[in-house]
Amino acid sequence: MPEEKEDKKETAGSTADDLAKEFKEHSVAEFFKKNRQMLGLTGKIKTLTVIVHEYVTNSLDACEEAKILPDIEVKLSEIGEEYYELYVRDNGPGLTKETVGKALGQLLAGTKFHRLIQQRGQQGIGAAGCTMFSLISTGKPIQVISGTSHGKAFKCDLTIDPKINSSKIMNLEDIDKPFKGVAIKAKFKEVKYQKSDQSPLEYLRRTAISNPHAKISFTEPDGTTTTFERSSKDIPKKPTPIQPHPKGVTVDELLTMAKYTKSRKVSSFLKDELDRMGDKAIEEISKSVDFDLNTDPKKLAWEQAEEIVKQFKKIQFIAPRLDSLIPIGEERIKKSIMGIVEPEFLEVVERKPTVYKGGFPFCVEVGIAYGGNAGRQAGTDEDGRNVWKSEILRFANRTPLLFDTGGCALTQAAQSIDWKRYGIKDFDNSPLTIFIHLLSVHIPYTGAGKQAVSPEEEVMEELRLALMDAGRKIYRFIGYQRKMAEKEAKRKMYYKYASEVATAIAELTEKKKEPIEKKLHEIVLKHLKLEEKKEAEEAKKMEGLTEEEIEREYEKKKGEGKKGKGRCKEEIKGR
Amino acid sequence: MQDKQVTKKLEDAGEEILKQIDKGENPNYELPIRNLNNIFFDEKSKTIKLGDKTSSRQFLNVAHSRKFMQTMLVAAGLKKVIKEQATTSIRDLFYNMKHTIEGTDENTFDTQDESDPLIEDLEASLNVLREELHLIATPKGLVAGEVKIKEAGGSVIDVSKMGSSGWAVPSNVEPEKIEIKEVDADYVLFIEKYATWNRFNEDQFWKKGKCILLTGKGQPARAERRFAQRLAKEQGLPIYALCDADPWGYYIYSVIKQGSISLSYSEEKLANPDTKFIGLTTQDAAEFKIPKDAQIKLNKEDLKRLAEMKDYSWFKKKEWQKEFDYMKEKGFKMELEALSAKSIRFITETYLPKKIQTKDFLP
Repeated sequence: MPEEKEDKKETAGSTADDLAKEFKEHSVAEFFKKNRQMLGLTGKIKTLTVIVHEYVTNSLDACEEAKILPDIEVKLSEIGEEYYELYVRDNGPGLTKETVGKALGQLLAGTKFHRLIQQRGQQGIGAAGCTMFSLISTGKPIQVISGTSHGKAFKCDLTIDPKINSSKIMNLEDIDKPFKGVAIKAKFKEVKYQKSDQSPLEYLRRTAISNPHAKISFTEPDGTTTTFERSSKDIPKKPTPIQPHPKGVTVDELLTMAKYTKSRKVSSFLKDELDRMGDKAIEEISKSVDFDLNTDPKKLAWEQAEEIVKQFKKIQFIAPRLDSLIPIGEERIKKSIMGIVEPEFLEVVERKPTVYKGGFPFCVEVGIAYGGNAGRQAGTDEDGRNVWKSEILRFANRTPLLFDTGGCALTQAAQSIDWKRYGIKDFDNSPLTIFIHLLSVHIPYTGAGKQAVSPEEEVMEELRLALMDAGRKIYRFIGYQRKMAEKEAKRKMYYKYASEVATAIAELTEKKKEPIEKKLHEIVLKHLKLEEKKEAEEAKKMEGLTEEEIEREYEKKKGEGKKGKGRCKEEIKGR
Repeated sequence: MQDKQVTKKLEDAGEEILKQIDKGENPNYELPIRNLNNIFFDEKSKTIKLGDKTSSRQFLNVAHSRKFMQTMLVAAGLKKVIKEQATTSIRDLFYNMKHTIEGTDENTFDTQDESDPLIEDLEASLNVLREELHLIATPKGLVAGEVKIKEAGGSVIDVSKMGSSGWAVPSNVEPEKIEIKEVDADYVLFIEKYATWNRFNEDQFWKKGKCILLTGKGQPARAERRFAQRLAKEQGLPIYALCDADPWGYYIYSVIKQGSISLSYSEEKLANPDTKFIGLTTQDAAEFKIPKDAQIKLNKEDLKRLAEMKDYSWFKKKEWQKEFDYMKEKGFKMELEALSAKSIRFITETYLPKKIQTKDFLP
């Protein structure tokens, strides 16, 4: 017994010691090697999609920065069981021998941290994370070819030395052939390609939709190549970074900013680094806190920062600048969806930018595509007709969100709409593609996976308003289309029976069938035209109505529908 | 009514529709409504009669169009049957009219259930009898007893010599077709079930009991009811019904006596208003000490039907209301076969003679 006790003590002691030692010795890379899920690389199917995302996002960002229309080629080959080779090539500005190591072989090397800007964002840990994952799963380096518009192109093998979080470049050679852009060939194990809503193909399809200026082609392991052509030649304007708004800043962020600021006093630090911070606000803060705002911001304590943030909540500020957001734009979304989704009808609504939580500018763009090839085809019914399921395409800052569908505010907003009101009787089983794009300097993700947006009140409200607006517009189309289809079905039915009725009447009256049938056709057409006229009059009545009145009409119609059964019975008369 | 007149009625109906078509109107055909809402119990004739409510079946109405088309086909089909001087079963007529509508995969008729009610519609609206339309329903009725039948153009049949199979009631029992002669019986026993009829016939009850045994094997067809009516009217025989003690048995009695709802337009020729209900009643269970094992618990459906019948005006007599209440209170029903639980011949040797002797009938 005492022995055991001693053991325990020893274990506990050594664990703490080891941890401390490990922490000192192990680089960031080593840490992630042991915590693969933190790279965002969990699940065999998801991992492959996230890897494709990291490379393609890098390419898109690089092209955008260099004002180049992106041409991106992605090819996936199966080289063994759960063993794939991925080839990604772009026509971007390219990497130099100096930058290639940092870009592809050093974790957390990006410049994107602690910046408030509308950016595509990483879902895992960037392209270096992929290099890391290739190393972990296969032990092999990745192969890179890169060239800029001037100077010679080069190729090399590249991997990460996890101990020191630094790239290791091997077999570096110049190549004589002209080459512009970056091409990467990387091998991965423990991944799986499967056609699904979460596959790289679907990811790229959606990426193409939200990046109309990009041409993206994808070759699946079975050799099938799908190309998404660009529908716009406008390279998106570069969003401007904005200073954090006092209403949207956290204690931790404030302290981080204080650490790097050039300002010498807390008061000037606040004024220089935060948006909408005036002298009046500084005065109010200085009156309310029990420390001097003239101290060095680098010496700001947590408790003091906390007190400042508390004051921010009490003070009224001008709303943040909204011009920092660059939407895709109604026309470009329309062209893109028409080209890639190929619906019969499309409505796009772009809302004006606004603010959530008082400090974060955001904006929503939605599109509703109906008919044609909209929605997902889900097999065929007994009669061989295609069966359609609706799909919701979610985007945050132009990046498709493929996972955590149910837990995402974008999905929830779409599901909270009473679609029946807009003529969509069965939302889940309709040829329907809902496009939802949320753009913000700070997307309120639910978790580190960055796959779902949390339901911020103001965001939900904007999403719903946009969807309902688009719904109203599409209602006119669906209503018209349905009416036309119903009318045609009616005509067909009457014509079908007219032939039989004419035969019977001809036999009863001993006259010729054809003239009777012809007259019956005339009667049918006349009747349908009259019906149409009545409906048009009714629709006209609806036009001048307010939202509330339409609501009332809708409820009334719903009630009539229930009573409608009675109307079907033959009309009863007294003799 | 002669064939010519019937044909004319059908043609006139067609001409009427043609007129509407020529005027460019929505073709429609007016029909009497044949449901509970448009029938009444006629105190004078003591039968169910059709009221005067009509409905208009329209070609240009999504809900009517197919039925309108079918009604026209039936009218034309009937004209053809009469013209060919044939007698056709309603099933034959259904097959005759059933075909795929040109250029579609839809049939003019899918089942006989679609064509049968339309025949009744036309009978009612044109005021003609089914027999006059040369239509027959499959006959299923049987007769045993001292009676001779002469069929038109045939020989005389002595029903008492027909043995255990009995004489099958033909589909048309109108006087032009059948002559009823030499009846030696005091009453007609109209039995719901074939098995019970067979027991009575095997025991030659018609001889002992001096009666004519008639069964429609369940819900009797027109022919059996018409035949019973002729026996009653021409030979002055009272009719007694013997049915199961359940809501369906009681309704069969009610159809024999005052007619059915769907044929309400011709009940004067089919109903037997003086019929009395001899049994079986649930009250008999105690009277005749029928074993509890032979009783069947009422189900939901039975209770629903029982409540409906309690409301029919022709079942308002207190004796019937008492039986309905008793059945509901005791919560059981019985089949005629329940009497066999006492002994095989209990029904012929004890039950029926006692019932007739004590005149224990329901009106």
